[in-house]
Amino acid sequence: MISRTASKKLDRRIIIKAAAAAGVAQLAAPFVLTARAADTVKIGLDNPLTGTFAALGKNELIGAQLAIEQINATGGILERKVELLVEDSTSGDTATAVQKALKLIDRDKVDFLIGNINSALAQAMANTSFQKGMFQIVPGGHTDTVTGTQCHWNVFRVCNTTRMETNSVSKLLLDSYGKKWYFITTDYAFGHSLQEGFEASLKQANGTEAGADFTPLGTTDFSANLIKAQSANPDAIILLLAGDDMINCLKQAVQFGLNKKFHIAGAQQELEVNEGLPPEALFGDWVFEWYWKQPGVAHVEEFVADIRKRSGGKVPTARTWFGHAAIWTCKLAAEKAKSLEAIKLAKAMQGLILPPEVALMPNNPYYRVGDNQLMPTLFVGQSQPAPQGGDPEDLFKVTQLVKGDEAALPVDQTGCKMEWPS
Amino acid sequence: MTQLLLFNVFNGLIIGAFYALMALGLSLILNLSGVINFAHGGFMAIGGYLAYTLFSYLGFWGALIVSPFLVAIIGILIERVLIRRLYGRDPLYSLLLTFGLAFMIEDGTRFIWGAQSLPYQIPSWLAAPLSSEYFFLTGYRVFMMLLVAAAVLGLFVILNYTRLGLRIRAGTLDLETVSVLGVNVRVLRNLNFGLGIYLAGLAGVLAIGMLGLQPTIGDNLIMPSFIAIIVGGLGSLPGTLAGGLLIGVASGVTSVFFPSASEAVMYVMMAAVLIVRPRGLLGEEGRF
Repeated sequence: MISRTASKKLDRRIIIKAAAAAGVAQLAAPFVLTARAADTVKIGLDNPLTGTFAALGKNELIGAQLAIEQINATGGILERKVELLVEDSTSGDTATAVQKALKLIDRDKVDFLIGNINSALAQAMANTSFQKGMFQIVPGGHTDTVTGTQCHWNVFRVCNTTRMETNSVSKLLLDSYGKKWYFITTDYAFGHSLQEGFEASLKQANGTEAGADFTPLGTTDFSANLIKAQSANPDAIILLLAGDDMINCLKQAVQFGLNKKFHIAGAQQELEVNEGLPPEALFGDWVFEWYWKQPGVAHVEEFVADIRKRSGGKVPTARTWFGHAAIWTCKLAAEKAKSLEAIKLAKAMQGLILPPEVALMPNNPYYRVGDNQLMPTLFVGQSQPAPQGGDPEDLFKVTQLVKGDEAALPVDQTGCKMEWPS
Repeated sequence: MTQLLLFNVFNGLIIGAFYALMALGLSLILNLSGVINFAHGGFMAIGGYLAYTLFSYLGFWGALIVSPFLVAIIGILIERVLIRRLYGRDPLYSLLLTFGLAFMIEDGTRFIWGAQSLPYQIPSWLAAPLSSEYFFLTGYRVFMMLLVAAAVLGLFVILNYTRLGLRIRAGTLDLETVSVLGVNVRVLRNLNFGLGIYLAGLAGVLAIGMLGLQPTIGDNLIMPSFIAIIVGGLGSLPGTLAGGLLIGVASGVTSVFFPSASEAVMYVMMAAVLIVRPRGLLGEEGRF
């Protein structure tokens, strides 16, 4: 029963093809399609469910699903039931994300398109939806171009621009830790825009860039970059990474003892990341885009309780809020426009203020006229180990609330030149 | 600059040793059974997740010892139920099977443990640098190196001084003759697969001490492992070890000058080896 056939046929070419396929495999992904009815309002969510951003995508999905339930319980959109069609965009394959967006638009005939977490994918989807004249909301892709140089009349964004994030925290970092910074930055649109933002702040404060390393997305070992950073002897090491890359880098920085020698900080930090870190790696100054612990802010406690029921007791993260706010925005726009036509929806969105039950934060967030960017509140503070006897997910201490429109560049400096259809 | 370069060479050796551990398991399975195990990264992830679960019951050391054995048992069962059926067929069949298996394992771990990264805490005395000057030599990295060295030594002893190892080596050269001599090659392939998967499981447990534990943890490490095999030479375990160390050092040194190419340099090395010496550095001519 034995055979050498397998080994005999196996040659180097097959091994090399296999290695190539291993790379391609990371791009392949399943898709999820929910059942749908003809007379419903359809919202298409094209977001990562697999790969590096799967955890973030799942949380946006949970928030979106809660919003759909809430909206349907209160009469739907324009008195029609709402259904959510979910596609896995993958975490990094632009072609797949665009293909799924086109499927949602052309075949499923969605009324609203939502996506994406990955900045590059969000921009590609935005360019596609613009060509198709489809109303789109970007829940969690941060690169500035989406509401900046490549803004479109039909594309709105819930999460902050990277410049808003860097502006909200840079003064604190400059004042507290000094003006010589070393950047370790993820090598794609999100990281690049974050670094540009910090570099602008640094230049304005006459600071020095001690060095900068761009690391490929999905980097597992940051030791070489950390060795370089240490040898540059900066005042602060600024980590502009995301997801698992941030976890890997922080864990390794702690093991190297660099947190005891330098200030380690950055712009965006997420609860999903903090939950993946051991207690000793929970440190540094960061920006959260939403935080679940906001004593005295209306409706936050109900929201947290609702999400806990749907996610096995876990609290909502900024991603959950993005998904929730994005879906609710669709309803608010449609009700204001009294229509599902993209152009009418987009017009209705100009200056639209989120009501407290959707805002779930102070300072009345609103969609800014001119670049379609939501102006929310940013939560600046420090990562912390869970307090003894406190909630195990209380991993961030908010020290400062920054209004979005104070952190954002003025519209005329964003590079956005909005062209509306005639 | 020289010091920085030296630091990165040493550091590259540490990382390379880890790649080599993964690649040795892959290579063992490839050499005897001709199976390109795409699911190797998945087995590595299972090793990490089992260690995470066992941690609460057995602590760090217990999880470190038990988890790789459990992964090996899972590997043995999978070989017996699925992979064995495809030995006589075109290698693309087993390649496709393990390809699918990799997705199933990733989704399975996501289903059981969730998509979010999980924290894994190593003993505090391991999680610190050994000296402030050579800060990249942390207790954990040195421990990892020692364990990889022990695993390589163990593998060497098994392959050279045990009956199982003798049969594996003989089977790698000529499985039909080994069978004719009365060796049960089904069992031999099964145990060899388990041994390879044990190394993947061990790599998984070690990885989560310095990386985030999430379902895709193996994805980013499987490619360097393939490259280590190709660079080192197909069919050669010492070659695989050398390949892993080489790409680790190359990646570390590249990080000094051009960090964004630290990953690409591995592929460049692979291309260069394939052009200049297609059988790999220590590969046997005509073996593959």
